[in-house]
Amino acid sequence: MVFVKAQKSKAYFKRYQVKFKRRREGKTDYRARIRLINQDKNKYNTPKYRLVVRFSNKDIVAQIVSATIAGDVVLAAAHAHELPRYGLEVGLTNYAAAYCTGLLLARRVLKMLEMDSEYEGNVEATGEDYSVEPAGERRPFRALLDVGLIRTTTGNRVFGALKGALDGGLDIPHSDKRFAGFSKDSKQLDVDVHRKYIYGGHVAAYMSTLMEDEPEKYQSHFSEYIKRGIEADNIEAMYKKVHAAIRADPTLKKPEKQPPKEHKRYNLKKLTYEERKARLIERLNALNSAAGDEDEDDE
Amino acid sequence: MPAGHGLRSRTRDLFSRPFRKKGYIPLTTYLRTYKIGDYVDIKVNGAVHKGMPHKFYHGRTGRVWNVTKRAIGVEVNKQVGNRIIRKRIHVRIEHVQPSRCNEDFRLRKIKNDQLKAEAKARGEKISTKRQPEGPKLGFMVEGATIETVTPIPYDVVNDLKGGY
Repeated sequence: MVFVKAQKSKAYFKRYQVKFKRRREGKTDYRARIRLINQDKNKYNTPKYRLVVRFSNKDIVAQIVSATIAGDVVLAAAHAHELPRYGLEVGLTNYAAAYCTGLLLARRVLKMLEMDSEYEGNVEATGEDYSVEPAGERRPFRALLDVGLIRTTTGNRVFGALKGALDGGLDIPHSDKRFAGFSKDSKQLDVDVHRKYIYGGHVAAYMSTLMEDEPEKYQSHFSEYIKRGIEADNIEAMYKKVHAAIRADPTLKKPEKQPPKEHKRYNLKKLTYEERKARLIERLNALNSAAGDEDEDDE
Repeated sequence: MPAGHGLRSRTRDLFSRPFRKKGYIPLTTYLRTYKIGDYVDIKVNGAVHKGMPHKFYHGRTGRVWNVTKRAIGVEVNKQVGNRIIRKRIHVRIEHVQPSRCNEDFRLRKIKNDQLKAEAKARGEKISTKRQPEGPKLGFMVEGATIETVTPIPYDVVNDLKGGY
């Protein structure tokens, strides 16, 4: 096996067709993207908004995006790292935090479009399936959920963000099949279970079991919660306060940007064209004068 | 067996995708908007099977007369016998590109409107007509030295240098 020439020949490279760049990076599912962006031609330039939800290891990003030929344009965005402003400091990537982020985004967009008084959404999060009803002159803001590349299983945090946006007052076509608490056997959404997840009940349950069974693991796993004095019982109340705070003031506050720090340069700075020409003239002059001196010495 | 004359007959190469351009089609085709009266080129994209025009229309340019959810109605001229008929077909957007045939005209229209507005502001009359290129103007030839060239008498010795 050692002497097998498993080379990629020149012919292979000549014929190789690269996939789209974002597909090579594994970031975009073009099959889904085509179907999400395609707008009816007889609607001409009306933008088609998508609710983009993406999770990183420590953050949640929820954006309302519309596509143009020049590039996608973000109408409004909400991040989980903004939630400390509303009183949620730990557990920023769980189902409840996803709900809060979705809710924050929805209220922000509606406030931006001045529809927030018309479409309050579901103020009391009960966990049951809620869809916005058209009220007043303007129809509700419509967006389509863009999950990206995640596997859409029941109870995924993406649908937590979706529920947050729905309760916030956006019109997003959906079904309750993938919310946490939907049971395949009875084909129904168990509203109480979903409500538990929205208010972090699953986290609270885990906290209490760990406190009883393995106190050391509880100390290490929930150390940040303990540091802030958050117990299993007051988790639900905390999230209720966060929801209220979000509804009160969803406007975006830009953080103060410091001017970038001056770093020590470890490599030489590249010279500009003028500087390089000037240096060349200097060197030629030096050479000529040195040659002139030599000639004088020789003579 | 005789060769068939089906809808897509003789389109093996015509409808095939170009080298190394197979697979997903770039999304600008879906994002473009077309209005009634625009000129469009019809270029069949073999990757999309729905809404394909007949191979005759590949490479034709026509005007948009209708816009539907996923397709456009295009009016193309076709010569049938001794007359030219304006045929109206519906084509999906993937097989259509915006035509640049009247781009020059559109730009000129905008520029002329601008010039006319400026001239009106200044109160003078201008003509925005295009003029064809006339004959080149006359000019004096400058800085030419005259070198007189005369033939030299044939010299046998010199010319046999090589083979002598």
